[in-house]
Parts: sequence; structure tokens; C-alpha cells
Amino acid sequence: MINLAQKDISHSLGKFLVTAMGVGLLLGIVIVMIGIYRGMIVESEILINDINADLWIVQESTLGPFAEASRIHEDLKDSVRVIDGIKNAEALTFQNIQLPSPLKPTRVVAVGFDPHGTFNPINPERIVEGRDLQRSHYEIVISDNVGFSLGDSILLGRDNYRVVGITHGSVSSGGDPLVYISLKDAQELQFLYTNNRIRNDRDRGIKNNDAHMVNAIVARIHEGYSVDNIAKELRRFKHKSVFTQAQQHDILSKNLIEKSSKQIGMFAVILIIVSTIIISLIIYTMTLEKMKEIAIMKLIGIPNSMIIKMVVQETLLLGLLAFSFGAIFANLSYDKFPKKVVLEIPDSIALFVVILIASVLASFIGVKKVVSADPTTAIGG
Amino acid sequence: MSKQSIRVDNLVKRFTKGEEVVSIVENASFKIDKGELVALIAPSGAGKTTLLMMIGCVEKPTSGVIYLGDEKVYDDKWLTKQTRKIRREKIGFIFQAHYLIPFLTVLENIILVPQTNGVSPEESERFAMELLEYFDIADKAHSMPSELSGGQNQRVAIARALANRPQIILADEPTAALDSQRSVSVVQMLKKIALEQDVAIVMVTHDEAMLPLCDRILKIEDKKIISSKIEGNTQETLV
Ligand SMILES: Nc1ncnc2c1ncn2[C@@H]1O[C@H](COP(=O)(O)OP(=O)(O)OP(=O)(O)O)[C@@H](O)[C@H]1O
Ligand SMILES: [Mg+2]
Repeated sequence: MINLAQKDISHSLGKFLVTAMGVGLLLGIVIVMIGIYRGMIVESEILINDINADLWIVQESTLGPFAEASRIHEDLKDSVRVIDGIKNAEALTFQNIQLPSPLKPTRVVAVGFDPHGTFNPINPERIVEGRDLQRSHYEIVISDNVGFSLGDSILLGRDNYRVVGITHGSVSSGGDPLVYISLKDAQELQFLYTNNRIRNDRDRGIKNNDAHMVNAIVARIHEGYSVDNIAKELRRFKHKSVFTQAQQHDILSKNLIEKSSKQIGMFAVILIIVSTIIISLIIYTMTLEKMKEIAIMKLIGIPNSMIIKMVVQETLLLGLLAFSFGAIFANLSYDKFPKKVVLEIPDSIALFVVILIASVLASFIGVKKVVSADPTTAIGG
Repeated sequence: MSKQSIRVDNLVKRFTKGEEVVSIVENASFKIDKGELVALIAPSGAGKTTLLMMIGCVEKPTSGVIYLGDEKVYDDKWLTKQTRKIRREKIGFIFQAHYLIPFLTVLENIILVPQTNGVSPEESERFAMELLEYFDIADKAHSMPSELSGGQNQRVAIARALANRPQIILADEPTAALDSQRSVSVVQMLKKIALEQDVAIVMVTHDEAMLPLCDRILKIEDKKIISSKIEGNTQETLV
């Protein structure tokens, strides 16, 4: 049996391919946007997965330390350590700082932890050069994309820090590069004011005793204990909120990711709708251009089903080609985006199905035109 | 098996354009036998094409009865929902212009309808090639219509009209685009087909030179259809 769609397309192949490429670019952007969303999810979890705590103790009635600012006394870790079932507990700080990077000033998130403690937020697999923090002062481990090399000296606050280690792929929940410093240095950077400010504050009667604050206490529990039970017990302490690792994941995805994902979802939906409209317009004009031939086919007795099949197949093929171009575009360009883009096969399959459905919808006005074509018009003129 | 191929009884066709009613034929009746080549003549706008399209189950008559072969297809309404099936199985259409499908090759244009009717690809292609041989354009089988001359395309169009082995061929000014020599040979060919295949052919023509080649003349006159023999009164008929 003659395949009309195939014959028609090969008759106007150039136009068909150019259209498919144009729509393909739009779909490529959709694929990349979904990839950015996936990337955000992956990045949002890197830090808490590296820290790998069972429990997060933060400032009362906050969703800290990532979704909201949290301040808590460092010595709380000692009270936590003695609770039955707790294996270890440490204090951590998180702060945004602007680094005078050799490339351009870069916003990073500094993680402060005790290098001699029992929690190390630096995933050893991420260290690509140098080493971990070993001393309590003036050492820094820094993400490779900031642009520093091993041995560089960086002025932070009042002190020079030496780069002792380079990590790869360590980012904060918001996608900023991570640097790691000792807890003491971090506390000084975050909570200590300049001498002038301290003097001024003292004159105003303000007593600065913030230096022993941290942003969160993290803890792990012994095997055989229930995280939820210990969390419940910890919550009986006044002036703090307690989250399990799972709850912290939820907070991140709800508060940090949800809005962006909605936004990305909106854009993706709009682009898919635009693509559908373009496809249906192209198919419609292609059908209009063939009205004479369609009327002749009807006149000589070709059934509607065959002609409709031609239009629907053309639409599906256009959708399929556009999707392929989009997938190629996305795969060639995803690593050139400033944000992390994670392309996942299931997402592509889902988009593919959506495009197929959209193509079927897009063929409707063309099909309608076919059905309404009057065979008697074939011979007029 | 009767000789009857087309029979029309009390055919009425009126177009309504808003308030205005345009009458084309009123109570027209005629018969055409198998193997006959009949010329249909009338002034422009008299309704020749409309009449062909009614016989071809394309245009719906206002009232009347139409038989194709022994089958009654119209009696104040279509008696079958599948007028298109009748067209592709029983009728071959030839038009003034070739009206080939531009994105199909010559061969594909010819086999499209037979294959839709369920004829095997081998058989439909074999017959299509036979027709192309007959019309002396077998070497163009795989060309696109745009690569052929007007006369070649018209021959392809005639081959297409024959490809489904029709019982009736409806030809609307098939020679209008051809020179007089080609016109004569096309009409001779149609006459030969009518005889050999026992097909009834109705051919609309404005070309008087073609009339002596036909068996009979149908004329639309005063919204009636008048039949006349060719011999003897040819001149009279044409005035
Ligand atoms: N769909 C229609 N609606 C209204 N009027 C129509 C329609 N089709 C045809 N007519 C009218 O019917 C009349 C007959 O038209 P038709 O095409 O059958 O003439 P014809 O004899 O084939 O003319 P020609 O020799 O110019 O081809 C014309 O006056 C035309 O305007
Ligand atoms: Mg006409």
C-alpha cells in the first residue's frame, strides 16, 4: 500500500526538516529546563547527604539551617551527646560569603565544622587535590569551580586562609559552590565584629556574647534506636526545633525547590503548548496546500480514513523529528549551562509521550479540514 | 446481463443560492449502454459537469433516479452511504486538466485506487505498466507528474481512470488541453476502450471535430437531455 504521508513529506522534505528543527529547539529548551530542575534537586541534597546526620537540631520555630536562618548555642551539643541513643553530635555553621576569587568575586557557602570532631561534612570522594582540614585555624578546602589552586592564600575577614584541599561537585542547596573552614574560624567570621564595633557596642551597653553560637547541631544515633523517638525526646528541650534527615530533605524540596520547580514547570508547559500550536499550524498549512489534491483523492474514491491517516502520520512524524532534534540539542548543550543540568531518560520518555499526544491534538484542525473538503471543488477551474 | 450501463429517470437538479433558485435540469431522462462512447455537449454553464458529477455520485441530485449498471444508486436520496466506494470501484474520471497527485510518481498515481480496492501490489503494478505501455509512456513510470509534458500527463490521467477496470468512464473535456491531432487519437483510444472493455464512456466536449468519432450525442437543451445519432444529422445537432 502506498504511504501517502511518506510520499508527501519526501516531496517537501526541506521545509519539513527545517520546521522540525525549529520546533526541536523549543523542545530542547524544555528538556534542558527539566534537566535544570533535576539538577536543582540533586544539588539541594548534596550537602545534607554529605553531612549524613540522623538528626538536625536548630533554632526554635525555624526551618533551619538551610530554608531559614538558625542560631543555636554551641554547647547544646554537649547536652545532646548525653542523651540515650545518641552516638555523636557536633556543631556546624553555614554562611554565605563573597570570595575575592581570581576569576571574579564568587558567592560561596562556607561550612564550618570541627576538624577534630566526629562529623566531617567533606565527602572524601569529592577531594580531587590536597587534603581535608587538619588544623583548627586558617585552612580552607574549596570547590574547584571557584578558581583557586592549592596553596593559594585568601583573605577572609581579618585573616589569611591557605587552600589545603580542592573538591569537585560540592555545592550548597542553592547551587552555590561550597568552601569548608574550621568551626572556630567560621564562628569568628560570622559572629565576631570588628574591634571598633565591639567597642561601640560596649559603649551602648550591648554585650556581645554571640561568638559561641552555631547554626545547627547534627547528631547520629546508635543502631537499634528509633530516630523518631529520640527526635521526640529532644523536642522536649525548650528553645529548639528538631528534624530528622528525612524531614530536612522534605524542607529542602518543599521550601527551596518547590517554587523554582513550579516556575520551571510553567515555562515547560508554555513551551510545549507553543510547540503544539506551531506543529498544528504547520500541519494545517501543509493540508491547505494540498486541498486540491485531497479533493481529487476524494473524487476518485479514496476513503477519508486514508487521507486522515496521511495527515496524522505527518503530524506524528513532525513531533517525533522535533523531539529527536530537541534531544540532540539538549545532549550537545547541557554542560554549557551555568546551572547544573541533569538529563534523565524517564523525563525524556515522559516528554516524548506528551509530544506524541500533543501531535495527535495538533493534527485535529488539519483532519477537520480534510473531512470538510468538497470533492466537487476539485474540478472547479 | 443487460446492456444498460447508465440510466437516469426524471432527474432534477437545482442550486439554491440564498433566495435564488438556479435550475440545471428538470425531469431529464436518458440511457447509455455498455460499449457506447457518448458525447455530452451544451453551452458553457448549461450543466455538463454537474450532470457528470451526479452520474459519478459526487454531486447530489435534487430528485430523480440513477442506475449504474443494474444497481439503483439514487432514488431521491443516495441508496448507499458509500458513494465513494462506488466511485473507486465502478467509475473512472478524466478531467480537462490531468489532476494527478503531484507528490506521487506516475506509477503510484495509477495504482493508488486499485490498491485501495484491495488489488495486490504485483497485480496493480503489472496492469499499470500495461496501461503505460499502451499509452506509450512506460519509461516515465517513476517520474513525477511535474517532469512530464501536458499531453503525457493527460495520458497518465487516462491510464489512471482505467486502472480500476471501471464500468463507466466520465470524461470532462479530456481533450481541451491537447492539440487536434492528439485529441483525435485520445478519442479514438477511448472509443477503442469502450469497445474492447465494454465500458460506457460519457465525454464532455466543445470540439466539434470529435463528434464524428462518437456513437451518440447527448445535448442539454431547455433543461432537458436530448439524444441524437451522429450519422446524417450531425450538422443539424451542432447548430
Ligand atoms: N455548487 C454550486 N452552487 C451553485 N451553483 C452552481 C454550483 N455548481 C455549479 N453551479 C452552476 O450550475 C451551472 C452549471 O455549471 P457546470 O459547471 O455544470 O456547467 P458546464 O456546462 O460544465 O460549463 P462549462 O462548459 O463552462 O464547464 C452554472 O451556472 C454554475 O454556476
Ligand atoms: Mg464543465
